[in-house]
Amino acid sequence: MVDVPQWLIIILALVYAPIIGLFLMGIERKLSARFQGRIGPPLFQPYYDLMKLFSKEALVLNRVQILYAYLHLAFMMVTVVLLVLGQDLLLVLFAHAFSTICLILGGMCVRSPYSRIGSHRKIMQMVAYEPIMILMVIGIYINQGSFMGRDVFLLGKPMLLTLPLIFVAFVVAGMIKLDKSPFDVATSHHAHQELVKGITIEYSGPFLGIIELTFAYEVFVIFGVMACFWTTNLWAGLGLALAGYGTMILVDNLTARLTTNWMVRYMWSIPLVLALSNLIWIYK
Amino acid sequence: MNKAIIVTALVAGPVLWGVVAGLSKPAKMRNAFVILGSFFTIIAGLLALKGGRFTFSPGPWEAGLSFALELATILAILGVAIRIRSRPILYLAALQLAVALAGHIIGTGTGGVLEPVFILDALSMVLVLVISLVGPVIVLFAIGYMEQHAHHAPPTAAGERRFFFIMLAFLGAMNGLVLANSLQWLASFWEITTLCSFFLIGYDGTDESRANAQRALLINTFGGLALTVGSFWCITHGTDTLTGLKAAQLVIPMAFLCLAALTKSAQVPFQSWLLGAMVAPTPVSALLHSATMVKAGSYLVLRLAPAFRGTDLMVVLALTGAFTFAAASFLAIVQSNAKKVLAYSTISNLGLIVACAGIDSPLAYAAAVMILIYHAVSKGLLFLCVGTIEQSIGSRDIEDMGGIMYKMPFTTVVALLGMVSMLLPPFGMLLSKWMAIEASINMPVVMFLIVVGSAFSVLFWAKWLGRIQTVSFHPRYTLEPLSPFMRASLFILAVGVLVLGFGSIILYRDILRPMVTGIFQRIPVGVSEWSIFRADSEFAFWPFIVIPGVFLILAIISSLRIRREQVRLPYLAGENVDMKDWSVDGDVLSYSFRTFRDRFEPAWSSSQYMRSSVNEAKIVPWLNMVAFLLILAMFGKIHLL
Amino acid sequence: MKALARSPWICHYNCNSCNGCDIELLACLTPLYDVERFGVINVGNPKHADILVVTGSVNHRNARVLKNIYDQVPKPNVVVALGVCTSSGGIFAGCYNILGGIDKVIPVDVFVVGCPPKPEAMIDGFAKAIGLLDAKAKGLSTPLAEKPRICMVPTVRPEAEAPVSSEKA
Ligand code: SF4
Repeated sequence: MVDVPQWLIIILALVYAPIIGLFLMGIERKLSARFQGRIGPPLFQPYYDLMKLFSKEALVLNRVQILYAYLHLAFMMVTVVLLVLGQDLLLVLFAHAFSTICLILGGMCVRSPYSRIGSHRKIMQMVAYEPIMILMVIGIYINQGSFMGRDVFLLGKPMLLTLPLIFVAFVVAGMIKLDKSPFDVATSHHAHQELVKGITIEYSGPFLGIIELTFAYEVFVIFGVMACFWTTNLWAGLGLALAGYGTMILVDNLTARLTTNWMVRYMWSIPLVLALSNLIWIYK
Repeated sequence: MNKAIIVTALVAGPVLWGVVAGLSKPAKMRNAFVILGSFFTIIAGLLALKGGRFTFSPGPWEAGLSFALELATILAILGVAIRIRSRPILYLAALQLAVALAGHIIGTGTGGVLEPVFILDALSMVLVLVISLVGPVIVLFAIGYMEQHAHHAPPTAAGERRFFFIMLAFLGAMNGLVLANSLQWLASFWEITTLCSFFLIGYDGTDESRANAQRALLINTFGGLALTVGSFWCITHGTDTLTGLKAAQLVIPMAFLCLAALTKSAQVPFQSWLLGAMVAPTPVSALLHSATMVKAGSYLVLRLAPAFRGTDLMVVLALTGAFTFAAASFLAIVQSNAKKVLAYSTISNLGLIVACAGIDSPLAYAAAVMILIYHAVSKGLLFLCVGTIEQSIGSRDIEDMGGIMYKMPFTTVVALLGMVSMLLPPFGMLLSKWMAIEASINMPVVMFLIVVGSAFSVLFWAKWLGRIQTVSFHPRYTLEPLSPFMRASLFILAVGVLVLGFGSIILYRDILRPMVTGIFQRIPVGVSEWSIFRADSEFAFWPFIVIPGVFLILAIISSLRIRREQVRLPYLAGENVDMKDWSVDGDVLSYSFRTFRDRFEPAWSSSQYMRSSVNEAKIVPWLNMVAFLLILAMFGKIHLL
Repeated sequence: MKALARSPWICHYNCNSCNGCDIELLACLTPLYDVERFGVINVGNPKHADILVVTGSVNHRNARVLKNIYDQVPKPNVVVALGVCTSSGGIFAGCYNILGGIDKVIPVDVFVVGCPPKPEAMIDGFAKAIGLLDAKAKGLSTPLAEKPRICMVPTVRPEAEAPVSSEKA
């Protein structure tokens, strides 16, 4: 392999991750529209949305919320950087969690009931999916004997073969992360009327743009992790990730939003049991 | 002699200053002595750091002195028990007295190597630094706090003279406790800290505080009894020092000492005394939770842990600690009382320390020491902040803390810093939790409990953080008036949190790792045990600092560029009440909306406490039961049951 | 074309409407008309919107609310008024509580006539609004809309014609 300097990888990742993420979001909008019998927006609609948001006037409630919007993005960038550098996966998970925590705090620091309710629902979402994420990291550890992300590539055989149930659980957890139905209780790209945009309600203009940008990074992260389940062949990995992403979109269109309590109960039963049984299976 | 001076300065110094301060009647003079005593303690701690490690045996007369001290403290407890008419404490103390006397009469016998009486090694050094750097800052805070407190303290409150005497004496006793190698000295200092905490918790003299002080005394006397039994066992096996005990690898007395440690560090099922301790004035809680008292327990576990590697005791200890960590974090979610949240968080962190000590890996051990340091500083800071806030807004309920960012920006920012340091990188708590999780990979149950506990702790910190920083837009902030002592000590601790936070990886790599390698010296440590955690060598640390740092600066710039015209009211379906006056915090008006008949209602949503699905009173007995069974298992495993 | 014109998010405020316009507006989002082709999203929150779509007439109680919501839409923004109610009060004109069209409270950029307007007319209105957005994004000044001549007002009480300032409300 060519020896690419670390800083170059980081810059490339930081530049290309949101581009890829936005493209995936465009595919999703198009696909969802097709599922609903519509033509849908252009493929590059998410780019336009983002550019528009950055050109709008910023309305704020206080100064603190700005801080958290930026930190939300910063920690998501850290996540991406650590992931592409193949760093310790537990740390990646922490960085990812901090990004979400910053969003939650941003929603809580304003005196808006909608936004606070959104924040609390986001907290419950974290409670629902974090165990799955950590079980996934443990599974990877048992699989390869280290926490380092780059060791996944040294394994020589696809992770999916040993961790199939964890992959399924991860797809479900990813749906929560990407705010897909039936788990989109905190905020959603569709539920504009019911949730009044939940946690992001008091952000507008460029600050909403920052949050959308972060979402693009997040799509990239989830997509990338799914692709890493098949490391031996690039196309197979991409196919796997696309299949997982497609499933998310399909389920998003098929189901209705359910309650927070249902979500926590569901996640702590079926996907958690799936992940645990996978762990028990590979544990010697 | 140099060593003698250092030991005397650390142990007797604070006590003597406390006596002087306690004897001086005029408040000004007393404060001056308290300040001098605090600085003296800090200097003593720094001297100890400079002096480096040593072992010290004063001479043959020390045994008599320590025995006299132990007898005196046990008798004092007996006296207290008689005065407060508590039979259980009386019985426990009497039993302890009998065991201690029996141990003295039997004696270790002759022969055997003479072990040093006081040891200042790396672990003691860490503790001495924590006690004598954080402790005095809290005492300084107390000067300002108690002036305020005197105005609304109940008439039954004990005098401030006694208060400051005990606070300073506490520091001395704690220093003695961590320096002592002889079990007799250990036991006497142990009992002194128990007594001190009893007096401090009962300071206000109300019915509630007296009852809680009594409970603290009861539980800690039980722990003291366990300690005495453990040392009695050691004496019958020919040693009366910690080093001797470790060399002989006597598991049974170690289990007793661990039991004592569990009571002192308020692990489930012994947590109730620490929760009750919050009735005391806030500096007392800060001292008990951060620098002293509870740290004595975790210190003892850490001191003993390398000696019982590989035994079943270790596994059970790890389980007990991890269980406490998860259970206490869980219970903290349902609390809205700020001090109670902090208390549960202390208990959970101590549980994590115990769990790490039990994980049987140098990595986890390093994590434990790290948690001990970071927890002491951050928790001390947080308690002081809550005390300040409580004096200002008259409530310690988290839900009442919205908007204090404007009323008291200094305290709020410091409190935010403290909370963030418990949660986010680059502060050390995160690093140590990470280390703990990675080290526990071979103990799935422990790992699961730690992971679950961490998730819960994120939850309750996030709720509190969210409430405390809720604020409306204000063009200008003005610092709140605060007693100079309080402001100075908050400032010192905040700087400490920052410095330690940014130095966390350096601290781990350059200080803790060599130290722990030294502690685990006698037992071969495989390279692999360190290599799970490759943070120090391969960790790309700079993105973690640089990216959030850059964005922090960007955020500050763009938030300063916000003009008044850009500020809007929250979306309340258009029914907002107009914001008229920007200079006042429009707590009520600007966040109200119009309901029918043009009434104004404030827009309000409380945090989630899950009280509908979690009933603390019902759950606690079950948790206690599980923990009790775990402790029984501890004794079962060593074939004592 | 500026990005703003490619992604016009609308926020819909029902200002005393009979719901006819609202239903027709939602019809625009259905597969038949699918305004999302132009990037239009119907958001529920003025703070995220670019186009404020108002239906119905203004009465004494909701004038304040309308003004408030308009203030919460970040600039550059465009106001589209749907239906004749928004221009004159429509079939409600002359009621004891009606002030008249929404142009008495907020500046209106596009009037779409009809009772209710057909989705085609609405899409036409949105196209106009998008053109105005583009112009506003480029920093040009745009004229306010002419009030449509169609008027369904049988009788107008004189006091209802008085302009209302937001302070008074
Ligand atoms: S214009 Fe016609 S359809 Fe629209 S709100 Fe008025 S009355 Fe109803």
